[in-house]
Amino acid sequence: MDFFSEPLSQAFMVHALVAGTIVGGLCALVGVFVVQRGLAFIGDGLAHAAFGGIALGLLIEVAVENATLVALPFTVLIALGIAYVLRRGHVRGDVAVGVFFSVSLALGVLFLGLRPPEAPPVNIESVLFGSILAISPDDLWLVGGVAAATVIMLGLTWSRLAYMTFDPELAALSGVPVASLEYMLLALVAVVIVVSVETVGIALVSSFIVIPAATASMVGRTLTRVALISTALGVGGAAVGLLASYHLNVASGATIILTLGLLFAVGLAVRRR
Amino acid sequence: MLAFTQPVRGELPSVFEAKGVRVEIGDHTILHDVTFWIPKGEFVCLCGPNGAGKSTFLKAVLGLIEPSAGTIEVLGKPMDEAHRSVGYVPQRKGFDRSFPARAVDLIVAAIRGKWPLRVREAERARAIEVLERVGGAGLVDKELVQLSGGETQRVFLARALVNDPALLILDEPTAGVDAKGRAEFMDILAEISASDELAAILVTHNLAAVARTAERVIYLQDGRISAWGLPHEILGRKSFEALHASHAGGFPDED
Repeated sequence: MDFFSEPLSQAFMVHALVAGTIVGGLCALVGVFVVQRGLAFIGDGLAHAAFGGIALGLLIEVAVENATLVALPFTVLIALGIAYVLRRGHVRGDVAVGVFFSVSLALGVLFLGLRPPEAPPVNIESVLFGSILAISPDDLWLVGGVAAATVIMLGLTWSRLAYMTFDPELAALSGVPVASLEYMLLALVAVVIVVSVETVGIALVSSFIVIPAATASMVGRTLTRVALISTALGVGGAAVGLLASYHLNVASGATIILTLGLLFAVGLAVRRR
Repeated sequence: MLAFTQPVRGELPSVFEAKGVRVEIGDHTILHDVTFWIPKGEFVCLCGPNGAGKSTFLKAVLGLIEPSAGTIEVLGKPMDEAHRSVGYVPQRKGFDRSFPARAVDLIVAAIRGKWPLRVREAERARAIEVLERVGGAGLVDKELVQLSGGETQRVFLARALVNDPALLILDEPTAGVDAKGRAEFMDILAEISASDELAAILVTHNLAAVARTAERVIYLQDGRISAWGLPHEILGRKSFEALHASHAGGFPDED
């Protein structure tokens, strides 16, 4: 029992476990739609947009712990931009994401460089790889609130989102408001990514979106089951990875992703399709 | 337009009516003044070389693109009010095989207008009924990934028929299906169209499909209707060569 009781006797580990499992489950849930629509790359793109947003927050001298509040609208705008370009159909999805991705990253670097020399230094490593062990109770409320709102929004639109994900053209012909749903979905993914970045970092967040959903899609028979399996994998992978990293004394984010990767390998072995 | 035998107004009610449809994309005019109508129960094949505007016309009919001029009506109503009166069978070359769906889910989604979380008994019975009509009894619980090309298209045809439409629209429905599957599919289509007095627009490159199903043929060329008449008139050697001369290799291939 020491595997659980020893780490959980420390408040920072309890916070980390709560944040990690919520972020793991949340990313895995929205990831189902991202992966099924063939937009796996978008997690990376929006994470880099979040970097641009955080850097903008730091440039206008918002305290580093509040930079998320600037990153939120910035990343949602980038997501809506990607959705607009996708809908216009001028360029392919991966190209659209690739362009927005690089431009946001460049903007982030530019914003950081424009900060006055006396500005407090930024810990780039924690922006890139997250600081799950330094999560505060306030952060937990934000992550929990976004998780609850996401579950409600997905629940209300589930059957229409599922139809659109299967085939946007057929869904539109059946009267599904495909355009509004597409904008909503990408904005939601953007919000989830921004609130997850503090916990898991820009470089790692897209793995949380892609790996559990990809694993679940190999074994689930219906979209609802795929979503439940994906969420369970996200929650379980985060918990197991975090506790393992504590005992092995290695980086938490990386251990969680390696755990998810292992589960993906198991999924490949037992896949139905 | 070459003058062939067109349907006579007043004999049968009109199901579909395109009047002066013009579609522009950027600076290009893809469709110029496309005007035709389809009486109840008539099976129309829409043919023409690649790039003639067939797909654009279908998109305009389905309401996926907005014509810059003209009107398209089904049973006297604009398409956005008539979508339940239209059954659509898409081209399925690049079917996404990773989506977890059974045939019954796809058919029930067309009944409800949203993806079913749980299929009710009555809906399942209805799905089985339409599947039986298209020779797909037994496919109801099959996952789409398990189906062959021909079976997939039967499921999509069942889906298109489930709301008892007045008009069926089919976009190259047998692309990627083997010769035997193609012939069977076209026979089922012709039989259902005749017995249900169902009007249809079939976009196809396939001469055998036209011969099996068409009661009227519309030949589209450079975004204009260049011929509208009976199959033997359009496909007769002389007129076919006349149409074909300016578009060598365009229509139709015998695959």
